[in-house]
Amino acid sequence: MAQYVYDRQKMSEGLTAIIAGNSSEAAREWLQQRLEKAASIPQFNQTFTAIPRFTGKNMITVSPEQAAVLHQLVPGFFVHGWTLDRLIRVWWLLQLDAADKTAYLDTVEKLFLSAEMNELAALYSALPLLAYPEAWIFRTAEGVRSNIGVVQEAIMLQNPYPARYLDEPAWNQLVMKAIFTDKPLHLISGLDQRSNAALAAILTDFAHERWAAGRKVSPMQWRLLTAFVTDDNMADLTRVWHSADQVEKAAAALVFSGTSYGPAKTLLASDPALTAEIQSGALSWDVIAAKLTRN
Amino acid sequence: MCGIHELTEKDLQPLTFTPAYLDKIKGMRFFDPHVHMTSRTTDDYQAMADAGVVALIEPAFWLGQPRTGIDTFRDYFNSLLGWERFRASQFGIKHYCTIGLNSKEANNEALAEAVMEIMPQFIYKEGVVGVGEIGFDDQTPLEEKYYRAQLELAKEAGLPVQIHTPHRDKKKGTQRSMDIAIEHGLPPHMVIVDHNNEETVKEVLDRGFWAAFTIYPFTKMGNERMVEVVKQYGSERIMVNSAADWGISDPLAVPKTAALMHESGIDLNDIHLVTYVNAVKAFAQSGQINEADFDIAGNIDQSEKFNGSTVLRGGQQPRINKNTTIIR
Repeated sequence: MAQYVYDRQKMSEGLTAIIAGNSSEAAREWLQQRLEKAASIPQFNQTFTAIPRFTGKNMITVSPEQAAVLHQLVPGFFVHGWTLDRLIRVWWLLQLDAADKTAYLDTVEKLFLSAEMNELAALYSALPLLAYPEAWIFRTAEGVRSNIGVVQEAIMLQNPYPARYLDEPAWNQLVMKAIFTDKPLHLISGLDQRSNAALAAILTDFAHERWAAGRKVSPMQWRLLTAFVTDDNMADLTRVWHSADQVEKAAAALVFSGTSYGPAKTLLASDPALTAEIQSGALSWDVIAAKLTRN
Repeated sequence: MCGIHELTEKDLQPLTFTPAYLDKIKGMRFFDPHVHMTSRTTDDYQAMADAGVVALIEPAFWLGQPRTGIDTFRDYFNSLLGWERFRASQFGIKHYCTIGLNSKEANNEALAEAVMEIMPQFIYKEGVVGVGEIGFDDQTPLEEKYYRAQLELAKEAGLPVQIHTPHRDKKKGTQRSMDIAIEHGLPPHMVIVDHNNEETVKEVLDRGFWAAFTIYPFTKMGNERMVEVVKQYGSERIMVNSAADWGISDPLAVPKTAALMHESGIDLNDIHLVTYVNAVKAFAQSGQINEADFDIAGNIDQSEKFNGSTVLRGGQQPRINKNTTIIR
């Protein structure tokens, strides 16, 4: 198993540049002092915990150039919307010596075990950057079981690690948990690439359950059926197409536009106005996501 | 913890009206510096938020029965910093905690040693506003040993100490707690002496400590007595808490006491001091309390913005109508 699967040094520098633009001189001096003691594990842990006390928790600003550097090193890695303490904690994790695999895994795992919720959010946000990436698969699936919103979001949203490393059942569990906890699905990295037939079947079952209970189904979830429209679920999609709710109908239209399944194409063609909106780009999943957020 | 008392049928009837005291305290903000939310329901959180409680402190304590291992202690500390904090945020309440080895479980020496070993990992966590609740229960030598050890930890970390005073032999136990704190070089302004009564309050205040009062039926203070205490001693360094837990107790003790004080003609400013300001001041010495956070407590998750737009919820819980037989 490889230690780091990207250029750790460059990533650390990229993060340092963002930290420099968002922190006070006193905070940077403190970090520099702590860095000298980072080789001691108890000191390393204490610093990880104490970071917000010395750096504050302001929302960071990141320039497009800075973001591009990070994205180039680890595709999909994203720090927008983070607070400074989270950014510095993630950077701090990169300063831990990973040469001894057993010691490294043990130290990071223990941080998870005694973490409060903001520490957990930082640890899960750091998943794409941790050494020995395959070692965190179980931990990620465990994190998906969390009931704490900020922790769920750190794993599920704009984090490229799960799509890359989780197996299909664990991935499907992540998506379903995101739906159950009302997360903005369009912010899940790898959502379309990791869609699969098993998930499509779980989603149609889930829709039947919701309808039987007289509850609504999020229009966004139909997106995951796009590559899996079949005789089995066409009746459900047809029901969504005929919904009085315009957003639901638009969602069905987007699914139909993306599939090669004949009957769906025929149905979509029956509404030239919607077809034109999709072709012009006026209607897309992002547009639907924005509408749902406003509601 | 409940004491000896008799319940009548009337006491067991559910509340079916909006209590009038809520009107008296409309618009007031409260800080409950001692309440064990792990043992309370979401209904309590909702009621506290409705009554104006904006923030609270959950001291680490025992769980009604002794723990048998260090892992359950670690999980308990973790839950105070994680799940319970998140649960509070869903009702717009900012949740802080104090971390400590309680006096009862200090008597299990092997376990106490293990707890002392993990304590430094926890007292520096975000939102830990003190070491507590520690002190005496039976006043045994082991209780003293770990009380002293934790005073040293607090001193080193620059954290306030929240002292639990004993039910039995209270007056002497309270005096001894203060003597030992001084002996270890903790300035009185860094020590909150809890569970005071008419017999202990004078000395605690005279010596410069913070005096906390727990409004808890049957075994501790009643709020009518509390009104008299404030009338006699004023509002300086005095604070009120509920210490609500898994016993018959009242998570609305602070707002109710404020209402009763108001009704009894106590000045609004004094009420504000003993039900909010003093506790904030005492525990803010930890550097971990920012009053501005109270306003955004309900939005912890919403602070996680993406490209400037608030897309995340997972925050406020939907309100349900309790007055209907229909559950949807």
